[in-house]
Parts: sequence; C-alpha cells; structure tokens
Amino acid sequence: MLNFTPEEKKVILFLLIIAFCGITLNNLAKLNYRVKKLFCPHLSLARIDLNKVSLDELITSRCLPEKTAALIVAYRQEHGNFKSLEGLKEVRGIGEQRYERLKGIFFIE
Amino acid sequence: MKSIFGLSAVFYCLGIILLSLVRVNFWLIVTLGLVISAAACLSFSNNRIFMALILFLALLLGALSLKNSFAIPKCHISNFVAYNNKAVYALSGFIDSQPVAGHKRASFIFRVQEMQFDNLKWPCCGKVLVKVDFLRDFNYGQSLTLIGTPRRPPVFSPGSRSYRKYLSGQGIYLLMRIKNSLQIIPRESKGANKLILFSLRLRAKLEQVINNNLPDLPAAVLSAMVLGQKKAVPWLVTDHMVKSGSVHILVVSGFNVGIVAFIINLLLKVIRLPRKQRIILTIICLIIYCLVTGASNPVVRATVMGVVLLSAYLLKREADIYNCLAFAALFILMLNPRQIFDVGFQLSFSSVLAITCLYPKVKSFLRLDNCKIRILRFIYEGCLVSLCAWIGTVGIIAYNFRIFSPVTVLANILIVPLATLITLCGFSLVLCGLFFPFLGAVFSTTSAMLITLLLNITAVMVKIPGAYFYF
Repeated sequence: MLNFTPEEKKVILFLLIIAFCGITLNNLAKLNYRVKKLFCPHLSLARIDLNKVSLDELITSRCLPEKTAALIVAYRQEHGNFKSLEGLKEVRGIGEQRYERLKGIFFIE
Repeated sequence: MKSIFGLSAVFYCLGIILLSLVRVNFWLIVTLGLVISAAACLSFSNNRIFMALILFLALLLGALSLKNSFAIPKCHISNFVAYNNKAVYALSGFIDSQPVAGHKRASFIFRVQEMQFDNLKWPCCGKVLVKVDFLRDFNYGQSLTLIGTPRRPPVFSPGSRSYRKYLSGQGIYLLMRIKNSLQIIPRESKGANKLILFSLRLRAKLEQVINNNLPDLPAAVLSAMVLGQKKAVPWLVTDHMVKSGSVHILVVSGFNVGIVAFIINLLLKVIRLPRKQRIILTIICLIIYCLVTGASNPVVRATVMGVVLLSAYLLKREADIYNCLAFAALFILMLNPRQIFDVGFQLSFSSVLAITCLYPKVKSFLRLDNCKIRILRFIYEGCLVSLCAWIGTVGIIAYNFRIFSPVTVLANILIVPLATLITLCGFSLVLCGLFFPFLGAVFSTTSAMLITLLLNITAVMVKIPGAYFYF
C-alpha cells in the first residue's frame, strides 16, 4: 500500500468529491433543464443588455466615451430597440473598429 | 528585515529608482563601484562597515543595471532607422512571441536577425512590433522576411505612461505595419526556442481541453485562472472584478504554482521516483508551467520562489521566505530593471510582502490561534490574508487606476476560497482531460458551477452602494 501524507489523502478525497458533484449535477441537468442554469451562466453576467442599459449605467461602466453613450441612448429613444448588434454601426461615432470592440461588450436579449 | 539578501534587494531597487530620477554618468557609477569593492575587500574584518559597503554596492549595481538597460547595441535595428524615415527595408528574422489575432488583424513581436536595404545586407539585432492588417496563420518561431517601413511608436499619452515608453520597457523601439500579404516572405525555420515552442503547444492543447469541456464563459474564466490566458474573458467580467478588487484571481499566481508543484510531486511519488529526481523533475515542470502561462511577472516571481524553496529542500537547508522573495525580485530585475516600474511587478511583490510581514503579526495580536472552532478560525484567517494583501496594494491601485474599492475585503472573503476551489477543479479537469479525455466531463460540471457562482458574487458585490469610487 502506498504511504500517502495527510495532504495527499485530502487531494484524493477532494477529487472524489468533485467527481461525485459533477456526476450528480450532470444527472440532474438531464432530468431538469433548469438545473443547467447552475453551470451555464447567463449572458447578462458577461455582457451589457444594449436595449435595457440606461445612460447612467453606460457612463459609470466606462466602456465607451460619455458622448458615444449618449448617442447610443438617443438613437434607441429615436428608433426604438436595437434589433441586432449590427445596429450599433448606425450610431454616429461608431465605426468598424469601435463596433468590433463593442460587440464583445453588449448583447441583445 | 531579517536577511542581508533581502536588504540587498531593497538597495538594488533603490539604486534603480534613484537613477531614474537623477542623471548620472555611467563611468562615474563604475568608478564608484570599483572603489567601494576595493574598500569592501579591505574591510573584511569589520563586519558593520563591510555590510554597509555591500549594501551601497547593491545600490550602485541597481543603478548600473538600469543604465545598462538603456544602452542599445551597435547592431540594433533602431540605429539603422532614422527618425521619420520612409525607406522600405527587408527584415529577416523570426516571430518571438505568441501572435495575437484580432478582428481581421494580427500582431506579434519580430526578432530581427538581418536587414536589407536595396542590395545592401547586414546582420542586426533587436525587436520590432509587427501589426498585420489581414488574417493569416502565424506561429511562434516562424522565420520570415518582412518588407516594409519600420517606424517609431506613437506616444499617445505623454509622460511616464506613454505608449512609446511602455514598448521601450519591453525592448521594442520600432513598429512595422504590414498591409499586404506580399510583404511577408516565409523563410526556412530556425531560431525558435524549443522549450518555448513546446510550452506554447502544451498551452494550446490545455486550452482545447478546457474549451471542449466547458461552456464559453466558464471556459474563458478558467483559462485565465489556470493558464493565464485572459484574451477570451469578457470585458464586463474583468470590469466587475476590477471594481470589486478581485481581479487578482484572473492572474496566475503563487497559489497556482504551488498546486502544480504539489500535483507533480504527488504523481511522481505514486510512480515511486526517488526524492532527488522528484524535486528536480518538479522544478523542470514549474519552469514549463511558467512558460505555458506566458511568464508574466507574478508567475516568474512565484516560480523563482518555488524553485528556491524546492532547491532548499533538495539541499536540506531551511528556506527563508524573505530570501526567496528577494531572490525572485533580483532575478526579474537583473533580466530587466525597468520591470520595477511595471504595475504588475509592484502589485505582485507588495501583496506577498504585505502578507508575509503583516499577517503573522496581526494574527498573533488578535490571538486567532485561541479560536477553538476550526471553520471559524479558517474564515478569520482568510479575512486577515485578504485584509493584509489589500493594505499592501491599495496605494498602488489607487495611484495607478484611480479607484478605491472598500468592498474588496468583503468580496475577497467570499471570492478567494471560491477561486481556490475553482483553481483546484480546473487543474483536475485539465490533467484528466489531457490524459483521459472521457473523464473531463466528470470534473467540468463542478468547475462550471463554481465559476457561475463566482460571476454572480462579483456582479452582486459591485452593485452594493459605495462598493467602489473612481477619483
């Protein structure tokens, strides 16, 4: 029998526990779709909803200059919600390069 | 300060800082250094004078190394390209970094070996940052001839934070823009470091394991935490972590290096390898892990500290944490003294120093050892470590990023234990996925669940009123 130190025993126990948790969660997800939310984070945790974000939130998030943030909100008020992220290109001050950066920041529900 | 080695490192750093503030002639420093060395030789018998002279010598050495880092060799490419030059050159060399691919563009560091202008060819050295305006597959070590006009980098923001200064700190003095694929001519491959090449291939393989087993967002976060690859982490996630003062978990640190050392040691122990070989192999694996993660300052610090600790274990000597830290600082600064002005370097060392200095004192002051309930003691200790690290870094963060986050301590109490679990799960997933791909799914679900919890906690933390202030 191998002589494991207490730390090594903890590692083996840890591996078994996470494998146990993993299999249980996998099984639960197969039976109930809602469980999947536990390990598939919602997009709102990674991106800002372009149609719901307010001007204040846009400014405090510092993801783009204040002027551009105001133009985005003004465009949304004038033309209604954005149908796709491509719509950002219609906003004054957003060119191809800025759009490429912004499409990684925003999403549309 | 307990050790002379640590004190020497402090004086070495002081020398670098002093020289950045005052202009002193190179030969004056050399002469002074020779005089001090001679005086030190003569004062062997007097310990105090000898030590003072040694420390002064360390200060001069720091100043000298900074001065030396500004000196450019005669064959350096920047010596052949005049300011505002529009001439077209042919640069032959190889790609010296992992190329970064963006939207319809790529960039990489190109190490020049030969330069050609008209029919005139001459050997040269130096690095050029190449920006390619089209998509093409580039790899580290690829030998190329680039035809174009090297230019000096733009300044963007004047002062110490200028882009030009940032690049010169990395030894890059020229930029080259490639707009047409005809400007790139492949050459026979030579010049790539085999160990780096192996590490990059290993990293790609490990990233593939993570991406195959996890959804996009958890995969991006885990790649950052385990492999130091932050390019896929969404902006909002990084922003939440910066605001909650927990962005350090996205950086590979000493903890990761410790886990790698532990896992390698355990695996080698299972195959019953003798102790000496085990330690040597662990050191080699740590160096490979350092290269896999991109050898950023925190990883190099942690790797050097790990190697020193393991070497002490190998030589059956007692390792001193201050000596290890000092050795790591000296190692990085000897290679590039300008790293002392890098925020990553300052944060990495100040946090470790704050934890090693403050934590034991505060712990004994609060008499935490008297706490009988183990879980409670564990929580208190976690809070204390977070608090010490925060105290050590708050000044640097406030000065550089103009942000003050009172929520940091609270956030870290919750996030650090969670990040620890995620890192452990991540390593289990990566190792299992690498050797037994069918087992990856067993570990991936737990990792994804913990990452989802982590993202939710950071999102909640930044929403607490007064969580952070920009000034």
